[in-house]
Formats: sequence, structure tokens, C-alpha cells
Amino acid sequence: MDTQTPSAATGTRGLTAAVVLFVGALLTFTGLTWDVQWHEDVGPDTFFTLPHLFLYAGSAVSGLASLTAVLMTTAARRAGQVPDPTVGGVPVGVFGRVFTAPLGYLVSGSGAAAFLLYGLWDQWWHGIYGFDAVIDSPPHVGLLLSVAMTLVGTVIVFAASRDRLWGRLGVFAAFGLLAGFTTITAVAFQDLSDTVDSMHVAMAWFVSLILFSGAGFIRKGGIAVAVALGVIQAISWWFSPWATRRYADAVDLPVRDYISGVPTMPALMPMALILIALLTYPLLATTARWAPPVAGGLAGVALVVLQDFQDALVYGIPAPAVDDLLPTALVAAVLGLLAGHLGTRFGRMLRLAAGARPEGA
Amino acid sequence: MRKLATALATAAALLVIAAPTANAYEPVGIVHTEKVQAGPYPIVVGFSTWPVRAQQSLDFTFAVDGGVQGKSGVLTVTAPDDTWREPLARHPRKRDVWGLDVRAMQQPGKYTFQFRVDGPQGVGEGRLADLAVLEQPGPPMGLSWGISTVPLLGLVVFLAVAWRRTRKAVLAG
Repeated sequence: MDTQTPSAATGTRGLTAAVVLFVGALLTFTGLTWDVQWHEDVGPDTFFTLPHLFLYAGSAVSGLASLTAVLMTTAARRAGQVPDPTVGGVPVGVFGRVFTAPLGYLVSGSGAAAFLLYGLWDQWWHGIYGFDAVIDSPPHVGLLLSVAMTLVGTVIVFAASRDRLWGRLGVFAAFGLLAGFTTITAVAFQDLSDTVDSMHVAMAWFVSLILFSGAGFIRKGGIAVAVALGVIQAISWWFSPWATRRYADAVDLPVRDYISGVPTMPALMPMALILIALLTYPLLATTARWAPPVAGGLAGVALVVLQDFQDALVYGIPAPAVDDLLPTALVAAVLGLLAGHLGTRFGRMLRLAAGARPEGA
Repeated sequence: MRKLATALATAAALLVIAAPTANAYEPVGIVHTEKVQAGPYPIVVGFSTWPVRAQQSLDFTFAVDGGVQGKSGVLTVTAPDDTWREPLARHPRKRDVWGLDVRAMQQPGKYTFQFRVDGPQGVGEGRLADLAVLEQPGPPMGLSWGISTVPLLGLVVFLAVAWRRTRKAVLAG
């Protein structure tokens, strides 16, 4: 871990650890989209299926990268060097001053550690409830939230190097992964209401929050988040069914009868996000305080409405009637206001990942 | 810190120890059966766990007399608060019969499985009524969700603290 003063920072300081952390997140994401497709199209499950190994390896890689970064920063600090806050974020003391952890790596590492504990919780759960492959069981949601924590840490790590091109690219790549990831987490909300499509509302809220965090971080950040998610969606749209078929062939398992053939997790991601980012961009270009919430409200409505039409297109089902959409759109608008406000603020906070040490830290 | 490291190491070790129990595609073991007559087609409904409990997954098999070749069908499940239909598909781990693999019934109460089979002898319908699904095992769901949403709580607390500590700098632009 590099610990020189910021003025001595070179262009690639902190890059290696950040890239390893990102590779871990990418492995986890790959494993998840593959695993979801596997259960949908093939079915039989063991602890050691290849998609599961991607999931475990991803968290292990992210966790080890975080641990290494924290230990090296701690060692350097104890040797009398001043940690460079552009490497992983502002240094914070852990357990008093026993450890010195760059903020981003502290968050990502905590997520990886939580993943391990929730893995154990999941094993216990399956012992009682069987191996029903539902994404929205409590332990699975715990695992997903742990990964989300690691991804938030990854965003902070790259944000700390925002003065460098790779730092900014990393922020939006990680934001894209986080946005894609939240779309499957939103499935946990599917049974919340009969009148409101709570799963689409949750998806719209998470994705809007991330979109506006990007927009608050840099001016065209919302568009960059949408482009990143679009690329991730396109690649996983091809990858998940392809990998599922190849793996089924390799282990000599048949494909289920009557599958839809739709890439399940990529289909949860909103295809219209780039359009929505472009449409809300002029609003965010103003400095008015009302602009982010209004943009968030509009984005929320657009996301839930267009997602219904996306489902109709992808799954070949009838498009919903306008009357049926109204309650969902209304709730999405209200929550979107909040997402616009919070997201923009989070983006501005993210600019301080390396710049200003939090008061009292 | 040492305690935390020990706890994480223990968790990792337990995961590895527990893993082999789930390291093979398990065969479908039927421990209870019921008979349904769907018109001219006798069906044996098999359960890999008995009795059935809410949210506890199990394998269901639907063995139609004479095999599934040349036949198709639809299963309609009537639950206490829901009804759904799905085509009768071959069980992924027992391809000679129809079935539902590792599937859980979410709510306790009485269920009805209605079968509509289309085959060489025409269309036949039959039902398995009053299938009792008992209360869920394990801890109350509220507790399980409480444990599982700790990372979310952690993230919210983290963001709230960061919000407060960066307020001046953010507002200063």
C-alpha cells in the first residue's frame, strides 16, 4: 500500500488494489446472473456449482484485497508514514487506532466479512427449509446486502482517485454493477402489495438513487451510470443463457421443459435508463434546489412505467392498462423525489472520499 | 479484533465442513404418496418430505400411469391466498415423471392440486384436495429478517454519519 503524501501521488497509485477489488465484484456479479439463470433454466443445485464458486470467489477476492489494503496502510502508518487518502479514501482508525483503514476498503471489507457470516446463516437456513432456490429468502437477502456493501466500498475506493481517469471510470463501472445488482435485490419486495408493483418501485428507487449519486458526483455522471448499466445488461444478456447451456452440457444435465428463454436477471434491469438519464440531465444542470427531487420523481415514474412495457416486450405478455399503472407510478414518483434528493447529496459526499477528512474521524 | 478474526475463521471452517453435505445432485427420495385419478389417467403424487410445512421446500413428483411420453398437462394449485397454473414439466432430477423440484408452499393451510392431462385416451381431470400444509418451521420470520437486514442497517448508519460529517463541506460546494 502506498502511503506517500498526496502531492507525491503518481497516476497509478492505488490502482492495483482497486482493480483487484473490482475484479472480485465482477466475479460476484457474474456468478449471480449465471446462478439465477441456472436455477431458471436447469435447476439442480449443490454447494459447489460453478456459478456458486464465482460468487464465493468474488467475495473472497474482494475481502482479501480489502484486508491487504487495510493491513498495509496500518503497517505504513505505524512506520510513521502519512497515508495517501487518494488510495482507498480517507484513513479511519479501527478498534481505536489498532488499525488504520482507508474508508472504501473498510466498507468493502466489512461487506466481504458479512458475506462469510451470512453464508453460514444460509447453510443453517437450508438445513431447516431445504434448498428452495428463491432469491428472496432472508439469508439470501443478507448475502445480497453484504455484496451491495462491498460494491459501495468499491465505489468509494475509486472515488478517492477521482482526479485520475481510471478513478472516474472505476466509479461508474462499480456504480453500474451496483445498479444491476440492486435489480435482483428488488425481487425481495415482490409480495409487499397487491395494488402497487412493489418490486418495480423498489427497482426504480434503487436505480434512481444510484443514477443521481452519479449525477451528483460529476456533471454527466448520471449518463455515465446509465451507460455502464447498459453495457453490463448487454453483456449479461448474452452471457447468462450461454454459460448456463454450456455448463449444463458439461455436467450432462438437461434443460427444463417450458423455459421462457429470457435472460432472467438482465431482464430485471431497465433498458430505458440511458433515455431517462438524458432526459433528466438538463434539469440537473440547473443549480435550483428543487431540480434533483423533481428529476428523481420523473425518473421514478418513467422507470416503473417503462419497465412494464419492457416486460411486455421481453416476455410477450400484454402491456398493462393505464389505470393499473397509476398507483405504482404515484408511489414511484413520491419515492423518486427522495431518491433524487438523497442520490445527488450522496454523489457530492463521494467527491470528498479523499478530499476532506470527515470531521471527528 | 482477535475475537472477530476467530469468529470469521470459525465461520469459514464451518462453511467448508458443511459444504460436502450439499456437494452432489441429490436423488429424489419419495417418502409419501397420494393417488389421483385424472379421467383415464391414474397419477401417483409423491412427496420427498412429509408432512408438508410452509416455506419448507421439497420435491413433488407426479407419476402418470404409462409414463409422460405422448402426454401433456397443466397443474393448477389453489393455495389459501393464491391460485396459479403451470404446465406439467418433467422433474429435472427424475426425468421419467412430472414434478416440482425443491419447491415450497409459502402459506400454511389447505391446498388443492388439480391435474388436467391430455394424452392418447383424451383429456382427463382430477384433483388432490385438502393437502394440509402445516405452520413453517424455524424462527419467526420477523427475527430472520431482522438478522438478515443488519448490513442494510449498517449502510444506513454509515451514510447518515457520513452525511452529518460532510455537511459543511458539501454545502460549501
